[in-house]
Amino acid sequence: MTVDLLYDWLNETIPFLSGNDLLLLFAILIPALMLFLVIAVNAIVLVYAERKVSAFMQDRVGPMGQGVGLHAGKWGMLQTIADALKLISKEDIIPKLADRKLFIMAPFIIFVGAFIAVIALPFGESLIVADMNIGIFYILAVSSFGVIGLILAGWSSNNKWSLYGGMRSAAQIISYEIPAGLSLVTVIMLTGTLSMQGIIQYQSGGIFDWIVFSSPFSFIAFIIYFIAGIAETNRTPFDIPEAESELVGGFHTEYSGMRWSFFFLSEYANMLVVNGVAVTAFLGGWQSPISGYFNTAGWGIFWFISKILVLVFVMMWVRWTFPRLRVDQLMDICWKYLLPIALMNIFGVGLWTLIFG
Amino acid sequence: MGVIHGEEMVLNIGPQHPSTHGVLRLKVKTDGEVVSDIYPVIGYLHRSFEKHCENVTYEQVVPYTDRCDYIASMNNNLGYAVTVEELMGIEVPEKVEYIRIIVAEFNRIASHLLALGTYGLDVGAFTPFLYMFRDRERILDMFEMVCGARLLYNYIWVGGVSHDLPKGFVETAYQFLDYFEPQVTEYNNLLTYNKIFVERTADVGVLPPDVAINYGVTGPNLRASGVKWDIRKDEPYSIYDKFDFDVPVGQGELGTIGDCWDRYWVRMREIEESVKILRQALKGLPKDGDVHQAIPKKIRPPKGSIYKRTESPRGDLAYYITSDGKPKPYRLKMRSPAFTSLSVLNKISKGWMLSDVIAILGSLDIVLGEIDR
Amino acid sequence: MTRYFQNIWETITTLLTGFGITWVHMMKIKKNNVTLQYPEEKWPRPERNIGFNHDDYNVIRSRLTVDINDCIGCLKCMRACPVGCIHIDTVKADVRGEDIQEVGHVGITSNGSKKAMVVTRFDIDMTECCYCNLCTFPCPEECIFMTGGPNADRHHIDYEFSEYDRSDLIYRFAKKGTQEKMTEIKAPKEPKVKA
Repeated sequence: MTVDLLYDWLNETIPFLSGNDLLLLFAILIPALMLFLVIAVNAIVLVYAERKVSAFMQDRVGPMGQGVGLHAGKWGMLQTIADALKLISKEDIIPKLADRKLFIMAPFIIFVGAFIAVIALPFGESLIVADMNIGIFYILAVSSFGVIGLILAGWSSNNKWSLYGGMRSAAQIISYEIPAGLSLVTVIMLTGTLSMQGIIQYQSGGIFDWIVFSSPFSFIAFIIYFIAGIAETNRTPFDIPEAESELVGGFHTEYSGMRWSFFFLSEYANMLVVNGVAVTAFLGGWQSPISGYFNTAGWGIFWFISKILVLVFVMMWVRWTFPRLRVDQLMDICWKYLLPIALMNIFGVGLWTLIFG
Repeated sequence: MGVIHGEEMVLNIGPQHPSTHGVLRLKVKTDGEVVSDIYPVIGYLHRSFEKHCENVTYEQVVPYTDRCDYIASMNNNLGYAVTVEELMGIEVPEKVEYIRIIVAEFNRIASHLLALGTYGLDVGAFTPFLYMFRDRERILDMFEMVCGARLLYNYIWVGGVSHDLPKGFVETAYQFLDYFEPQVTEYNNLLTYNKIFVERTADVGVLPPDVAINYGVTGPNLRASGVKWDIRKDEPYSIYDKFDFDVPVGQGELGTIGDCWDRYWVRMREIEESVKILRQALKGLPKDGDVHQAIPKKIRPPKGSIYKRTESPRGDLAYYITSDGKPKPYRLKMRSPAFTSLSVLNKISKGWMLSDVIAILGSLDIVLGEIDR
Repeated sequence: MTRYFQNIWETITTLLTGFGITWVHMMKIKKNNVTLQYPEEKWPRPERNIGFNHDDYNVIRSRLTVDINDCIGCLKCMRACPVGCIHIDTVKADVRGEDIQEVGHVGITSNGSKKAMVVTRFDIDMTECCYCNLCTFPCPEECIFMTGGPNADRHHIDYEFSEYDRSDLIYRFAKKGTQEKMTEIKAPKEPKVKA
């Protein structure tokens, strides 16, 4: 569903407005609203899933709704909605000594960073807002946009903990862009295109045509990308910017209510983006795992979403199993382990395609 | 060209902070992430325990000792009871001795589980913390069976214990031990040998044995530095000399002797040793006997003073009591092991990063209730 | 260089072990679950039988309760309390062991002892109580106890007794108006005593 297609379709269905600029505005606004809805629903579902997964791993049951009166529905399914309502109705606190303008702006910048990356995600064969010929490059470029928001949040709060969080996140996210980019280079070498749809079409066929299984090197590339992805979304074991046992809340220490929830909204949107790219680049995107079956447009959305959810589950699994790294160890892993391996990997994939390809 | 130094920043950790283990305040001088000086500020939980004791009778001191080290109340009660008994020359029935050992060792396990679990939390692992609390909860259930309280027991009295063990307690205890022993392996697999955890703790915050002795550090923190010193073994009180157990010391398996990982590991090993003691004590527990038999009608120790130390889960817990022959102590002083452990923090965490300071503080296993008293 | 690859190998193996443990726990959640849905489900209270004379002595420490009809006003519990949260006032009864109808005073306890004192005030401040159980042991009539204690048949365990107002946590066990009535009764007799 590119904007152009939508524009053409609107021109045909509403003839008396055809050629009007208003239609172009509609054609842009409709996908934008839908994407916002996708992000919001994604956050609600993932917060619930996160609470349930963590609870099950820790011998608990998580949110449950039993008993009389107001409660969170069966199995606590309304818990996130209740949380959202609570967050909306909370007092909006802005510290007296904070840099007011930047403080208000920061959560939105982070959210915009996540939002503009989502537009390049291919949810289906024709279901993509902006099918750019440099799609994967675009996502890599704009996904570090959110860092500005994090630094602003850390700086403007006028709190030492926030400052630490902001500084840490800047160093972390910028460093981990490099192994993530290098591991995607292997994909680009194989497919010869930067377009998201092009990469997916290259992997058409069954599960063994996916890039992740095409050679051992591409499997390693997938692992490196996934680790870097966890780091880019600030999740344990790389959650040092918000490490609650050290930095209280990191960059969002001073935030509360709706502003705070925007940080969470964009964190989960970032997970969607990172895993969406992983699915597109390595796991065949919206392609069915069985060649020739379930390959219609409807199934395409199902495959894409379910593949993302599997990766999101792994991220949660990681978070609720491992301790947190230290700042210098985080850099060690990036520069001494992931980066050399990713570089060797490019060489390996080149050799592999030369010999077997 | 020299190294560029920015301005140093004073960071105020606490008194309200997720990982200061209570209401401790740390004034930390930092240069970026690197910490150059730490100044702990204590006293936020001061309840003037020692002055209070001068105004209540000897029996009434026991509930106050509960509230010093609230994680290991049984051991605090035991230390106080043993001290007053020695001052008065009371012989305690064998059954009481066994019951005391059983509850004290169970409480040692519970206390170490809390220490290890929250240590996991300090370095960011949430799940082991909940597993350990789940098992600690079962020990607390047993204490509730024994004395009706879950945290502040007031169970071990001068000359006896408040209640006899309930029917079926021994079976429940055996059941728990059978269930618990495999869990230790699980903790080890999940947290102890986890590479990230090892990286965070091994070689970090090394406490050399001579420094530990100079600062008066005791308990698992001292043993982790390689000094084999356990009052249960070297200066036995109660009937600890009857039991066969090892004193685990730090060997620097994954780093240097006396690092955070060793302090963690010594506690994990001590849990296993406590299980060993418990199995022997449950086996030897006499069937008959009145637990109230030796409790004196009026506690009026003869004039004089006494200093007696016992091994609490945090180390060398000692009471100094001066009696003037009246039913209230003339002076009571408590030597708290956590206080000396905290005093070494500045020495061992200089030059480490902010995250390491949290890890080192967690590995010392302090309880603010005991430091401030 | 071997150290480098050893590190990678150790990381992979130990992290996979951790993955395995949490996975097993997640799969066995039905069996392992320890959460109780509190208002609907409650912990079974520990039932026990210990070496006292009572057949079924439940030691759980909860709300302090006094059977005022059994209280002889000996002040032992007040003296045992380490925090001083028990306040008792007594007035000497004219005749030992006789009922005083005006204030509902019962002369003889359920154990058969004759009372010499009328309890005019018996206040326990539960906000100060430290639940140490020291007051229940010296009581000769076993009239002060934590609910569920020796008198569990009469008073069930009650641990949900939060209040909206602090003053509601000061329990007044003495019968209402005893203080005023007793001064009224005593007043005319006082000159006789002096004379």
